[in-house]
Amino acid sequence: MSFNKKLNTGDFAILAEMEPPKGVNVSKMVENAAKVKGQVDAFVVPEMSNAVMRMSSLGGAMLLQSEGMETVMQVCCRDRNRLALQADILAANSCGIKSIMAVTGEDPSFGDHHQAASVYDIQLTELLEAVQMLQKGRDMAGIELDGAPDFQVGSVVNAGLKGDNLEAELEEMNKKIDAGTGFFITPPIFDIGSIETFMKHAEQKNAKIIPTVLLLKSVGMARYMSRNLEHVHIPDDLIKRIQKAPDKTRECIAIAKEMIDILRKEGFSGAFISTLGWEQRLPEIIGSKEVYG
Amino acid sequence: MIVADKKPIEEIIEVIKDHDKILVLGCNECVTVCEAGGKKEVEILASALRMYFLNNGKEMVIDEHTLERQCDHEYLEEVRDRIDQYDAVLSLACGVGVQFMAEKYHSTPIYPGVNTCFLGATEQRGLWTERCQACGECMLATTGGICPVSRCAKRILNGPCGGSSNGKCELGKEVDCAWHLIVERLKALGRLDDYEKVCSIKDWSTDRAGGPRKVIREDVQV
Repeated sequence: MSFNKKLNTGDFAILAEMEPPKGVNVSKMVENAAKVKGQVDAFVVPEMSNAVMRMSSLGGAMLLQSEGMETVMQVCCRDRNRLALQADILAANSCGIKSIMAVTGEDPSFGDHHQAASVYDIQLTELLEAVQMLQKGRDMAGIELDGAPDFQVGSVVNAGLKGDNLEAELEEMNKKIDAGTGFFITPPIFDIGSIETFMKHAEQKNAKIIPTVLLLKSVGMARYMSRNLEHVHIPDDLIKRIQKAPDKTRECIAIAKEMIDILRKEGFSGAFISTLGWEQRLPEIIGSKEVYG
Repeated sequence: MIVADKKPIEEIIEVIKDHDKILVLGCNECVTVCEAGGKKEVEILASALRMYFLNNGKEMVIDEHTLERQCDHEYLEEVRDRIDQYDAVLSLACGVGVQFMAEKYHSTPIYPGVNTCFLGATEQRGLWTERCQACGECMLATTGGICPVSRCAKRILNGPCGGSSNGKCELGKEVDCAWHLIVERLKALGRLDDYEKVCSIKDWSTDRAGGPRKVIREDVQV
């Protein structure tokens, strides 16, 4: 079943992150995606995440689509003005991409081209509104299109915030819903109790929430995230569990699998698996014909 | 200097209409020179607002004051004793002054009374034009003292582009092509060789791309 259908029917969807290459050799990306083709409902292709230059989301998504895989293309306010964003959105839909996800994008100072100028011609909610307008058959200048695109539109929401910050985020989420957002991807979740307050609001709004299941790679990574990422809660027990495990990678994979099961049981709309460069591990996390027969 | 322009009075009225007592606060620096927010403009705007609210049957106290600068702690302190008397302040300073004022006086709304436009010069009375975008890495030494960042519509550093025609920009005949001006100026200086040098890719991290900027001068800090 396609990702869009699952969102509409309420079935649990599996999304997986698939970073395009920094270069033109796409064989690894296609190979890694093909291994889990039947198990992943759609591959989310990031648009130069962390402001590191690599192949565009549009290019990566089109390649995977041509191999018969469904994708979610990211559109990012950092690098393109309203002309370029709309142009890419039209291109994507006409090339078979049925889902897009709007993001703000990290500042170039986070990436590998520190001297680059960022664009931010329009902001996230404005981009979502622009997509809505395109779907109604007009561009941002109000000019009629020769054929309107049709998308499932997603965005991001920081479910792990607390207090006033969460209040502001929920306000922002409401605006995104009004602007036509059909699903939301959250930052990594390791303990669903930590997003309880957020989920109460999301349920009231009937918002489709897809938490990120991040594949931890080591105890060090878990500790670093726990200490430095204020809105990502990693329980101490989980860190100890990885620490004590004889095969830490296997344990991290088991943790990711368990998290997906929890999300499924708790009635979330899906899980978004992010492996941060370990896409070859996806079959172990979600199963594939090769691994499980 | 920082060049500002008057905000439409309708916009100002909309913002202040629910208050009963406001202070229109001018600034004696750049906005005085560009005749948008000095003592004279404070008087004119305050009178116009009083007249508007009187005609519309609303009692509104509108006081006037002008500070030497609104981008300096020392001068902003001058209004500390009286600021609590007002529901809001309508600042005719540039965006810097409005924000510095708001940072200092948390509980009083500070509204902008002008639109801050650019860094520019007075070509003649009533005509101010842009000269600098504060990109943080001045290249005027190699461009004959004419800035392609602020004066070329495309910010082209190795120009002109194909749209330049008879010394004018493709935007229209009223806009000079910055690169035409640069070439003419380099000719006059006998330094046309500078034009042959290819300018390397600009580091925009010193511009707004790097986020809000700071200048830290330890040698002058006390």
